[in-house]
Amino acid sequence: MSLRTLLRHETILGILVAVALALLATQSDRFFTTDNLLNQGRLMAEVGLVALAMTFVIVTGGIDLSVGSILGLCAILLGVFWKNLGLPLPAAMALALAVGAVAGLVNGLIITRFRVPPLIATLATLALYRGLAEGISQARSVRGYPDWFFGLGQGEALGVPSQLWILFGLTLAAAVILGLTTFGRSTYSIGANETAARFSGIGVDRTKLLIYTASGLMAGLAAVVFVSRVSTTRSDMGTGLELDVITAVVLGGTSIFGGRGTIIGTVLGLVLMQAIKNGLSLAGVKGDGTIVVIGVVLILAILIGNLFRRDGDG
Amino acid sequence: MAEAGTAPVVELAGISKSFTGLKVLKDISFDVRPGEVHALLGENGAGKSTLIKIIAGVHQPDGGELRVGGAPVRFSSPREAQRAGIATVYQELLLFPELTVAENIFLGHAPRRPWGGLDWEAMRVKARELLDSLDSHDLDVDAKVSGLSVANRQRVEIAKALSRNARLVIMDEPTAALAEADVQRLMEMVRWLRGRGVGIVYVSHRMAEIFALADRVTVLRDGALIGTRPIGEVDERRLVSMMVGRSIEQLFPKEEAKIGATVLELRGVSHQSTVKDISLSLRAGEILGIAGLVGSGRTELALTVFGITPATAGEILVDGKPVTIDSPGRARDLGIAYVPEDRGQQGLIRPQTVRENVSLAVLDRIARLFVIDHRREAALARDAIKRFGIRTRGPEQRVRQLSGGNQQKVVLAKWLATEPRILILDEPTRGIDVGAKAEVHALISRLAGQGLAILLISSELPEVLGMSDRVLVMSGGRIAAAFDRTEASPDAVGAAMTRSADAEAA
Amino acid sequence: MTTTIAASGRPARRSTRLGRFLGAYGQELVILGALIALFVVVGAVNPRFLSDTNLTSIFSSNAYIAVAALGMSLVIISGHIDVSIGSLIGVLATLSGTLAVGGYPVWVAWTAPVLIGMAVNAFVGGLVAYARIPSIVVTLGMLSILKGGLISVTDGAWITNLPAEYLIAQKRLLDVPLPVWFMVVLTLITAFWMRYSAFGRSIYAVGGNAEAARATGIRIEPTTVAVFAIHGVFAGITAVLFATQLQVIQSTVPPNLELTVITASVIGGVSILGGTGTVIGSTLAAILFATIGSALIFLNVSAYWLRAVLGLLILVTVLADMVRRRRVAV
Repeated sequence: MSLRTLLRHETILGILVAVALALLATQSDRFFTTDNLLNQGRLMAEVGLVALAMTFVIVTGGIDLSVGSILGLCAILLGVFWKNLGLPLPAAMALALAVGAVAGLVNGLIITRFRVPPLIATLATLALYRGLAEGISQARSVRGYPDWFFGLGQGEALGVPSQLWILFGLTLAAAVILGLTTFGRSTYSIGANETAARFSGIGVDRTKLLIYTASGLMAGLAAVVFVSRVSTTRSDMGTGLELDVITAVVLGGTSIFGGRGTIIGTVLGLVLMQAIKNGLSLAGVKGDGTIVVIGVVLILAILIGNLFRRDGDG
Repeated sequence: MAEAGTAPVVELAGISKSFTGLKVLKDISFDVRPGEVHALLGENGAGKSTLIKIIAGVHQPDGGELRVGGAPVRFSSPREAQRAGIATVYQELLLFPELTVAENIFLGHAPRRPWGGLDWEAMRVKARELLDSLDSHDLDVDAKVSGLSVANRQRVEIAKALSRNARLVIMDEPTAALAEADVQRLMEMVRWLRGRGVGIVYVSHRMAEIFALADRVTVLRDGALIGTRPIGEVDERRLVSMMVGRSIEQLFPKEEAKIGATVLELRGVSHQSTVKDISLSLRAGEILGIAGLVGSGRTELALTVFGITPATAGEILVDGKPVTIDSPGRARDLGIAYVPEDRGQQGLIRPQTVRENVSLAVLDRIARLFVIDHRREAALARDAIKRFGIRTRGPEQRVRQLSGGNQQKVVLAKWLATEPRILILDEPTRGIDVGAKAEVHALISRLAGQGLAILLISSELPEVLGMSDRVLVMSGGRIAAAFDRTEASPDAVGAAMTRSADAEAA
Repeated sequence: MTTTIAASGRPARRSTRLGRFLGAYGQELVILGALIALFVVVGAVNPRFLSDTNLTSIFSSNAYIAVAALGMSLVIISGHIDVSIGSLIGVLATLSGTLAVGGYPVWVAWTAPVLIGMAVNAFVGGLVAYARIPSIVVTLGMLSILKGGLISVTDGAWITNLPAEYLIAQKRLLDVPLPVWFMVVLTLITAFWMRYSAFGRSIYAVGGNAEAARATGIRIEPTTVAVFAIHGVFAGITAVLFATQLQVIQSTVPPNLELTVITASVIGGVSILGGTGTVIGSTLAAILFATIGSALIFLNVSAYWLRAVLGLLILVTVLADMVRRRRVAV
């Protein structure tokens, strides 16, 4: 029974993705070139990394609007740690990741200790973290990273971009955790009925803290990949990331109200979204036009999701 | 106060109602006259709540007729019932915490100035008048409701009813959460309302109040009307026997269980002001019943032992060793299980499957290196279905589709999977049909026979009396009386429940 | 002085008018106090802070934020949120300017944004109320649709050659800049309406306890749509004020606009959980932010820290609100 419902959404999504890819291939001869596909893969990676963690967040019924700001903050601090503080680059990278995790942990603490609704908490930290990034950077950018650093964002292994390998590995891990482990089952239960989960001995607060910390950590990782890909750091990096990430997750079948969702769905949603973006850009639509479409897709995805919800469950 | 000849404010003729196939009300006919306090008595699950919701317009009856002032009506919403002059003071009060008392009273029908705007001054003055007439001089009309005590919020609700010129006021367990002094003031308010010709439906367990206030009393049992009598024609014994009936033989006879060593002991355990200085001991194989009125602190005690609201004073000992229980996870690890009162919200995850619900408390135990062993989980679910006779299409069915009785079995299965040594059951057969009830009772007996120590919290006297080896009566957060199985009779226990409430002067 | 927890028989202190005023408007008075303190302190450090031009700059150039906060406060009181307000204002401002240079009568350029703002937000309100999509998500989507749409259409170009009679924000009445008039008058009207109209009170009810509101006969869905529509009207007015401040209309709105507007409401006493707060507070808070922004410049603090300050302010206010609610009996 649950297998059937699972198949229903992911299958539709899978078909949509296949159709989209087919359409793109026929509409533009530039689509199926190695160059383009590799590039799309790269672009997808940053959103993908954060979307993995965001899936957990939304499944618990929460949301994290601050991921874009955390990315910006970590990107800036990466530059600061390396250039201003003179730390060796690997250490700076590790520290940047740590900053991301701490930022996520702070989110989690505000939500669990102070019982601030996740929406408000992360809206406030969205501002705070972005503000810190702006203040620390004073709108200066950092350049001049060593060559090996760009291997992360611009290099490849076995013909596949490096960041995609990272994404692939983490996707597997996330899928296993969410779908097969006790932690994943706890996540679903908290989203479906937090009170009953608590009454059944599930460590609700601890689970949430871990999830929000992971969200921050992923944003930090995405920051490092991003900086490596564009060879520079700026304080406005990651602006609007939350829109892409939330859209990918929701498109993938995760209910915004919590309790339902899968990693594979998120991946499919991610691919579909990237395909849409790519299609638009190949058709000559600029970046700004693209976000219009993504905004529409987000609203439509939830609208349709609500319709299904009212028919089937509820 | 009200002569028998005057036309009733509200009249029910042959009302019946079913929910998902279960008949909750069967052919109920009763009426309330103006200036009458009509008490409605019955155990949990007898149908009182559904009945008052039908009068209040929340539900529509399947059969029978509802008449207001002699004319048949059919309310399709609570608002229509309000407009017909019916006001309800529910246990969960419908107030706006951030608004003032005066505004809460008049929201939706506030006095206006000539030019159309709200007249705040008039609102305050009228609110003041209403509260004064209810003898609530100390309730500030400008206070925010969020800062008020439960008793005062209730007064605001009653003032709300008055402000709409209600002809009938339904009060659902109004004194359940009140201290003694507040109870007295509430009763005066009721008398005042009666004096003004308002009809009152007074739903309560408390005999003392019923005998002090009511003109007539109606007893419901299992959805049927047992009888309506003038208060002068009955006494407490008669009412209790009407409520309880002679249905004790329906219960599965208790198996004799070997009583073992003490597994759980509480010494002076308190939690803030809801659980006060509780000392008890529980032995393996023993069923300790905990009786008491709504609000006496029984569930609060369970939540303290289970770690949801950890003890703020006193000691808890498991197997003779002092322990700190600060979370449900800790309680479970100590071998304590809690089957909650609120099955839907606290006991089950309704959108999830039987399999997922059954394994929820033992995830760590059926996992290897954090990965859930699906075969073990499925086997656990199938085993539970067989062992407890859960009527379901299979482990993959979603629990929200199951009947109340089968849902309760799922909750029990979940907790029994943790292999507990101490099982706390909170109203385990509430909202379950008779057949499933018997099954649950048989199960409880069997578990005791297997050496489980059981704490049975219940508002149903026959259940408590029929199952328990010993009975504790709680009142006001304390233990008011203790009975052995042989001493515990419906009269004795029922009397202890109600007597202690009266004696509990602040 | 004001609230008393009743205990039987004990006579209570009745609240005085002053006590009630303080209780109801405590937050607003705090902001006013902070504002005055800020003027005094920064003025002492750098007297040019209190100069005519600077004061005009603070009040007049930022009045539109206060106007936007009026609508936002209504939305938050009703239990929702709107993160797309900045983008909407940008779109409406550009629309207004385009109409002005396109030869349309000035009044058309002034009223079209108001009507369109109302329509767009009514649509958003409809999605929230009837399609049951959480307002954060709808407005997150709208934010992108509007922002992207604006840049796509304008291509980043600025609108120049605005007709003089169109520039309403640069006019004065009785020697007070018009934006200040708008801010003050609209705030007073809205505050009055929220206090004395049944519909205004129903917004508090819906945000405070939806179930109880329904039981009182309030129809939640139409109320929600109306609140968003009114918010759209304010957005339109804001857009016109914003558009006519300078001789040109930029193709973007100032960054952080939605955050500033939301923060103004929240600091002004509108609880993020809904059901309480006044628009007077949000207007005062908007002025406070403008003052802080100016003060940072005069104190030689980099303006890049402004967003961090806003974020911190929101966080502190919300935390305090949570603590307050937990301490109070529920």
